[in-house]
Amino acid sequence: MRYIEYFLFQGIVLVMLAPLVNGIIGKIKAFSQKRQGPPFLQLYYDLHKLFKKQIVVSDVSTWIFKVTPMIVFTTALCAGMIVPVVTSFIPENFPGDIIFTIYLLALGRFFMMAGALDTGSTFGGMGSSREALISSLAEPSLLISVITVALISGTTSVSGMMLKMQTENTPLLQPVYVMLFLAILLVILMDTSRIPVDDPSTHLELTMVHEAMILEYSGRNLALMELGAAIKQLLLITLVVNLFLPNQLFIGTTGVALVVISLVMYIIKVIFVAVIIGLIEVSSVKFRFFSVPNIAALSLILSFLGFMQYFILGR
Amino acid sequence: MEKYLDILSILILVSSFALMANKRIKSYINTFRIQAVLISIAAGIMGAQSYAIEKRLDIIIVCVLIVILKVYYIPKMLHKTYADIEYKVGKDFFFNIPVLIFACFALVVFSYYCISDIQGIDKGQLNIQIVNSVSVVMIGILFMISRKKAIGMIVGFLVIENGLFVTTLFATQGMPFIVDMGIFIDMITGIMIMGIMVFRINDKFDSIDINDMKSLKG
Repeated sequence: MRYIEYFLFQGIVLVMLAPLVNGIIGKIKAFSQKRQGPPFLQLYYDLHKLFKKQIVVSDVSTWIFKVTPMIVFTTALCAGMIVPVVTSFIPENFPGDIIFTIYLLALGRFFMMAGALDTGSTFGGMGSSREALISSLAEPSLLISVITVALISGTTSVSGMMLKMQTENTPLLQPVYVMLFLAILLVILMDTSRIPVDDPSTHLELTMVHEAMILEYSGRNLALMELGAAIKQLLLITLVVNLFLPNQLFIGTTGVALVVISLVMYIIKVIFVAVIIGLIEVSSVKFRFFSVPNIAALSLILSFLGFMQYFILGR
Repeated sequence: MEKYLDILSILILVSSFALMANKRIKSYINTFRIQAVLISIAAGIMGAQSYAIEKRLDIIIVCVLIVILKVYYIPKMLHKTYADIEYKVGKDFFFNIPVLIFACFALVVFSYYCISDIQGIDKGQLNIQIVNSVSVVMIGILFMISRKKAIGMIVGFLVIENGLFVTTLFATQGMPFIVDMGIFIDMITGIMIMGIMVFRINDKFDSIDINDMKSLKG
């Protein structure tokens, strides 16, 4: 019974909260241009509209194109089930491995690239080849940072890692964690197609990466793709937030009041990271595509330095 | 307090990595400004500490000087120099940026390896602040030799100076005041002379690319 409650809570929080992050980042961008901007809930309205529309599928496409939105959405949601949002409750049989989480997301990304190639349009192929490069550049630094955290906490279970990091108060004051935090922040920029790497609001064929891959989808399929991307973004932010930002109230599940308090704390921290991402988007320009390896190298080296300092300093 | 200084030394190191990853002159002047802000915060913390314990004011004065000189005056002057000279957009570095960043990482590992052997610095546990600030010096040297434009060399020189200042600050908990003042005056005259030199180089060769200076060889 507890499992069902846990998974329901986890799923509802992720699905309901994920589009809000995009809303916050959009608002910050609008304010920097002295515009009113779309409302915070814009992505919810878009998704509501898209779910009502009918699907148009190209007649040259195969089954891959049809199953891709479901797979992208499901893998994102399944990965989200493993990363605990506010509760420290762990199902006993399945502690939830961090490497499994990352590769679940990679499975979704693989199908996204395959589905983009499937329709045979040039944009899809271009987008998926770019996505393949960016994701292969981003993956090592994410894995190294995550493995360093796993070495420090002595477990690869996500909730175990989070509990260990939370019991040492103020993780951000340890030198190792600052490196890893910055490295994962750069990975979030690369993985969720934020501005220095990819402009999420453009449809200019020379620059788009993520938009090029979901160009052929329509109606419900497009909504699932958008929601899957938003959930993936919230999931990575959750990982950063619960690992590195202090949260004494992480120990939930022992009463409704505690869960609500830690949920509020969690939302505040997510908004904090979303504001950081928004500020980075506002203050930087989109890089030339061949400059993306610079960000990747910076992120990789930061995670390496964290790893090395863990070995030298022991913590 | 020690923890905050650890974090600041790490952030100074990260800012010099970010400096290395920048491509354009304007952006690395701004990154230099961020690094100077971090250094002034470190000096401020140290100054407050030494004032509370020993009633010494000199580190606080040094901190104020850093804010005036490195955060305000020097970046402004560099921006002005950059705006005045004729500038052609071109490749500003000898190697690719990823290669340079990996070289920086090798330098950091090198300084960790060397300094962990020195007696006296090491009280049973590696002093992470000193290692990080020595790495900043190394990265400054690499920055200096990896840029083609003269302004890049000035910024590299300033980064070396930053690294040395932070090293002395962390190693000695504040140098004698006269030494700090001497370093500042040296630096200010050096920067002014170099700024004028950049103008002269630009006049003479119509660019500030240091490769053109090879034609000076007799």
